[in-house]
Amino acid sequence: MVKKKYLLSFTPTLVSEPITYKMVKEFDLMLNILRAEVSERGGRLLIEVEGKPSQINKGVKFVRDAGVEVKELNEYVSKDDDRCTDCGMCVSICPADAFEMDRKTWKVHFKADKCIACGLCIDACPPYAMKLRIW
Amino acid sequence: MKRTYEEINRKIKSGDAVIMTAEEVIDVVERQGIKSAAKEVDVVTTGTFGAMCSSGAFLNFGHSEPPIKMQRVWLNDVPAYTGLAAVDAYIGVTELKENGDTDYGGAQVIEELIAGKAVQLKATAYGTDCYPRRKIETYVSLKTLNQAYIYNPRNAYQNYAVATNSSDLTLFTYMGKLLPNYGNATFSSAGQLSPLLKDPQCRTIGIGTRIFLGGGKGFVAWEGTQFNTSVPTKNGVPVRSARTLAVVGDMREMSAEFVRALIFHRYGISLAIGIGIPIPILDEETMKSVAVTDRDLFAPVLDYSVQSRNRKPIKEVSYAELRSGSIELLGKKVKTSSLSSYHKARVIADKLKKWIKEGDFLLSEPVEKLPEERTFKPLEVISKEEVG
Repeated sequence: MVKKKYLLSFTPTLVSEPITYKMVKEFDLMLNILRAEVSERGGRLLIEVEGKPSQINKGVKFVRDAGVEVKELNEYVSKDDDRCTDCGMCVSICPADAFEMDRKTWKVHFKADKCIACGLCIDACPPYAMKLRIW
Repeated sequence: MKRTYEEINRKIKSGDAVIMTAEEVIDVVERQGIKSAAKEVDVVTTGTFGAMCSSGAFLNFGHSEPPIKMQRVWLNDVPAYTGLAAVDAYIGVTELKENGDTDYGGAQVIEELIAGKAVQLKATAYGTDCYPRRKIETYVSLKTLNQAYIYNPRNAYQNYAVATNSSDLTLFTYMGKLLPNYGNATFSSAGQLSPLLKDPQCRTIGIGTRIFLGGGKGFVAWEGTQFNTSVPTKNGVPVRSARTLAVVGDMREMSAEFVRALIFHRYGISLAIGIGIPIPILDEETMKSVAVTDRDLFAPVLDYSVQSRNRKPIKEVSYAELRSGSIELLGKKVKTSSLSSYHKARVIADKLKKWIKEGDFLLSEPVEKLPEERTFKPLEVISKEEVG
């Protein structure tokens, strides 16, 4: 079992189709919705998918074939280490515990794999070291 | 055991002085006791790197041809105060850019100048017989300015509150983003590394004390604004925000590593600046003060959703608890965040230690002591007669 994160972009005509439901059901995937948005330009969905690698690939292909744009995301929030002062303001803000304060060096480490792209840290960072790369 | 500034400086010059950071000395005292540690160690260095809103810089631009008596001044569109002589100005870190941009202000101008960048200068004037010019637009940098020195009226607060939020809305404060329903708690002091917590009565820190300021050498200029000695103490150390320092130093010596503009979203702009102060071990009493640990230093937890100057502390917590990552508030585990960088505080204390070790930095005896008694008065709306 592996976990992967994808940003799905739906055109306005696809928004009403139950595409992600079929993806979950037919390919036996566990899906966690991290962010969702619908506007006049269509819909965008940020999901974390857990399942067998082969099933995930099939699921992604299915969604693509349905006309949805799929982008795998490895890093959607980034930390500018030169700008970061290692204060730790982000540590108590992050609901996913993606920031770790190393209690030996007192430096802040950002664990991108834990990040759920909620964006709460962006405006909380005093030296504005955090950037959101999607949306 | 008694030691004088002269003896310490003689040892620094001959390379025999024993210098330790406020963290290192804690271990020594725990191992061998106050008495023996006081005998062994000559100087203990402290450090802090936090948001210090009451900061700014004096700049002298030099005279243009024809000359101008500047009446209004902007640096990168951030207004500076120029109600001084013709080409002097003071730029405060919290001043915002004039076009409604709330993400750029005096702190960014100061950081950019220190980083060696050019900054746009605009000035207007009404014109006089001796200063006929009415307008100027040009660029300045630390190379072109005559004087450029930081003068911060209030820095290095001796202790500070812990902020939390009992309301059901997120609050945006100078203590950072406070999540609803006690979602987090933020604190500011560097605790056991913080300069004024290690010299609680200001026995050695006074006017004229040479310090580390923003990466260069600076001095304590005066008591800081809101200097307050009338506060409760625990283990001989204030458990509320108490004493403060006004500090001064040449921007040309500073580095952007220790001077950083900050944005507190929906609050405003501030500046983080590194300050380190050496504490001479004059006797066992000074050793006792510098060896106080985070376990014995306490701060009050205040509810920032109470929009009043009279917030009553919910409880007092130790810096050891704050640093552990969470505190307990009303039976709930609340995650904590520091607003000042303990990592940088440590780097500063280390750097200062190195400077002293290498003989580049001598200790200075205060030319005058800071006030032994001061209260922090509120501002009341009163009539002329009531002022008395």
